[in-house]
Amino acid sequence: MKKLFFKTSYDADPFGYFGEFGSRYVPESLIPALDELTKAYEAAKSDPIFEQELLDLYQHYSGRPTPLYFAKNLTEKLGGAKIYLKNEGLNHTGAHKINHCLGQGLLAKRMGKKRLIAETGAGQHGLATATVAAKFGFECTVYMGAVDVVRQRPNVFWIEQLGAKVVPVEFGTKRLKDAVMAALQDWIAHPNDAYYLLGSALGPHPYPSMVRDFQSIVGLEVKEQLLAAEGKLPDYLIACVGGGSNAIGIFNAFLDDINVKMIGAEAGGKGTGKIGDHAARLQGQGRLGVVEGYKSFFLTNSDGQLEPTHSVSAGLDYSGIGPEHARLFKDGRVNYHAVTDSEVLTAFKLLAKTEGIFPALESSHAVAEATKLAPTLSKDKIIVVNISGRGDKDIFIVADALGDTNWKEFLKTKAN
Amino acid sequence: MHPLEKQFEKIKKENRLGLMTHVVVGYPNLETTRELVKTMSESGADYIELQIPFSDPVGDGPTIREANTAALENGVCVHDAFILADRLTHEDAIATSLLFMTYFNIVLTYGIEKFCHDAGKAGIVGLIIPDYPLEAESHEHLESEAEKNNLVLIRFASLDSTEERLKKLGEKAEGFVYCFSTRGTTGVRSDIDGGIQPALALVKKYFQVPAAVGFGISNAEQIRTLKGSADMVVVGSALVKACESGGKEGVRKKMEELVIALK
Ligand SMILES: Cc1ncc(COP(=O)(O)O)c(C=O)c1O
Repeated sequence: MKKLFFKTSYDADPFGYFGEFGSRYVPESLIPALDELTKAYEAAKSDPIFEQELLDLYQHYSGRPTPLYFAKNLTEKLGGAKIYLKNEGLNHTGAHKINHCLGQGLLAKRMGKKRLIAETGAGQHGLATATVAAKFGFECTVYMGAVDVVRQRPNVFWIEQLGAKVVPVEFGTKRLKDAVMAALQDWIAHPNDAYYLLGSALGPHPYPSMVRDFQSIVGLEVKEQLLAAEGKLPDYLIACVGGGSNAIGIFNAFLDDINVKMIGAEAGGKGTGKIGDHAARLQGQGRLGVVEGYKSFFLTNSDGQLEPTHSVSAGLDYSGIGPEHARLFKDGRVNYHAVTDSEVLTAFKLLAKTEGIFPALESSHAVAEATKLAPTLSKDKIIVVNISGRGDKDIFIVADALGDTNWKEFLKTKAN
Repeated sequence: MHPLEKQFEKIKKENRLGLMTHVVVGYPNLETTRELVKTMSESGADYIELQIPFSDPVGDGPTIREANTAALENGVCVHDAFILADRLTHEDAIATSLLFMTYFNIVLTYGIEKFCHDAGKAGIVGLIIPDYPLEAESHEHLESEAEKNNLVLIRFASLDSTEERLKKLGEKAEGFVYCFSTRGTTGVRSDIDGGIQPALALVKKYFQVPAAVGFGISNAEQIRTLKGSADMVVVGSALVKACESGGKEGVRKKMEELVIALK
C-alpha cells in the first residue's frame, strides 16, 4: 500500500509555522474549531483505515492514478528537454481539487459535521466540494466572488445541479479573496455543525499542511510513474501557483530530493510592472503580511490593504500565496516565475494543437513556463508539468480571448 | 494605575455596567469621526474604540465592513488614525480612554514597534486586534511591545472557548477581556444568545479583569439582560447605523438610550 502521509524537512513546526510563515491568525471564536480540526486530522492521519478509505476513493471514485504522459510532439517541437504531463485534468470533476475534497470530506464525515462551506475562484474547487457533498450527503454552501460567478458560469450551473447553494459575494473586489472571507465568516457563525472545506494550501493552521497532505498523492504517483518510464527522477517540476495546492501536491514528494528543481508559475496577468495588473506575489511587489488567517506574502499597499489582482484565470486571481510556498521561496528551494495572460493563451493553443489536450487556463501557466525552459535544456533532461485541470470550463474565456466570431454568433442565437 | 483600570474603578463605584463604543476612522469622513468621538465621550462612553479601516475585516459584519470600505475609498490611511488620536488627546483633551481596534496586518505593515510607540504618543491606551491570538506572541511580540508603551493588548474569549483555553487566556490578562456574545461577526442583533450566561460564568472563573461583552449589542433591553453577568458592554454597528440615519444627533440619542440602560 502507498504511504500517503510523510514528512519533509520543509514541514510546519508543531505550532503551524513554516519558518516565519503560516500558523493561525484568526479571531478567538475560531480557535476552538481549529483545535478540534487539528486533533481530528492528526487522529485520521495515523488511522490506517482512513488512509485506506481515501486511497480507495482516489482510485475508484476519482480515477487515480492519473496518467503521466510523455508529450512527444511538444517535446520535439520545442527541441530540448523531454516533457511529461501529469494529467490531473483526468480526475473526476476535471481538476486536482477533488484530491483534497475527498480527503476533507472523509474527515468532515468522521467529525460528524452536517454542512460543508467552501470558497471558490474558478469554480473547480466549488464543483469538487459540491460533488463530495452530494456523495457523502452533506449540505453545501459555496461562496464565489460575483465577478467569478459571471466568468465561470458553467461551473455555477453544475454546482447547483449537485444540490449545493452558490452565494455570490458582492463585497470587496468580488473575487476569490472575498469569497474566502465570506466562507470564513460563515464558519465563524457556525463552528460546531459546519466544516470549512478550504480549497487551497493556505488559511490558518492546519489547512496548509492538511491540504498539502491530501494533494501529495500527485507527486507520489509521478515519482513511481517516472521511475517506471525513465528509471530516474525528474530534473524539473513545473506547476502553476494560485494558493498553491496543485503545486505543493506535485512538489512535496520531491522536496528532499535536492537534485529535483522546481518552478512555480504565478499569474503575470498584463505584466508584473504595475500592481493591480497581475497576481504575482513573489515578483517583488508582494509584502509580508497576515490576511485570512495566515502569514505569507500578499499584494498589498504600503498600509497593508489588499490590492486588486488580475489574471485571465480565475483560479490564480488571488492576492495571497500559501505559507509553505512563501517558505520554499525564501529558502530558495523553489523558483517562482510570472507568466503573462498572452503567454498563457499561446501555451493553451500549443498544447491543444500538438497533443490534443486542453489545459485549464491555470495549468496553461505551467505549460507556458515549460515552453520557455525546455529549449534551454539538453535532450536528456526531464521536465514534469502538472496539468492541474482540464480546460473545458474555460470555453467562454478562451473563445472570447481568441475572438472567435462563430462562437459569439452561437451565444447570441442561444440567448434569443 | 492604568487608565483602563482607573475608569473601571469609577464604573464599579457607580454600580453600573461600563460602555465601550466604536467608530471607524474616516467614516463617513475624518472630521465627522472626530465629532462622533467627542459626542460619545460627552454622552458617557467609558472607552472608545477607533477602528483603523482594513480592506479585509474578517471579524466584521456588513455594517462595519462597508464602513471600512467607504473609509478606504475616501482615501483614509493608517497615518490619519494616528493624527486623529493625537488631536483628540492633545487638542480636544478628550476625557475618555481611546483604544485602537484594527486587524493585525495593519500593525505588522506599519511595524509593530513603531505602531505601539506612535499609538502611545498619540494618547492611545489599549489595542484590540481580533486576529492576533495568544500563540502569535512568540513570533510577533506585539504584547510585549504594547506593554513597553503602556498599552494594554486586549484578550478575547468566545462562547466555545474551552476551560483549558480560558485558563491560558486569563493568565496575565490586563485591562478587560472582550467576550463575543454570539457566534458570528459584528452586526446588530435583536436578542442575546442564551449561551452567553454560562460562558461568562466560566470567563469570570479564569479572568481577574472585567468582562466586556460585544458583537450584536444594539439596544437597552439586551444591555439589561447582561447586568449581573457582564461588567461592560461594547456597542459598534448600532452606533454606525445611528450615525448613518441621524448623523451626530442620531448618535447622541442612541447614546442616551444605551447609557440609561447601564444603571
Ligand atoms: C485547474 C486549477 N489549477 C490551479 C488552480 C489554482 O489553485 P492552486 O494554486 O491551489 O492549485 C485552480 C483553482 O481554482 C484550478 O481550478
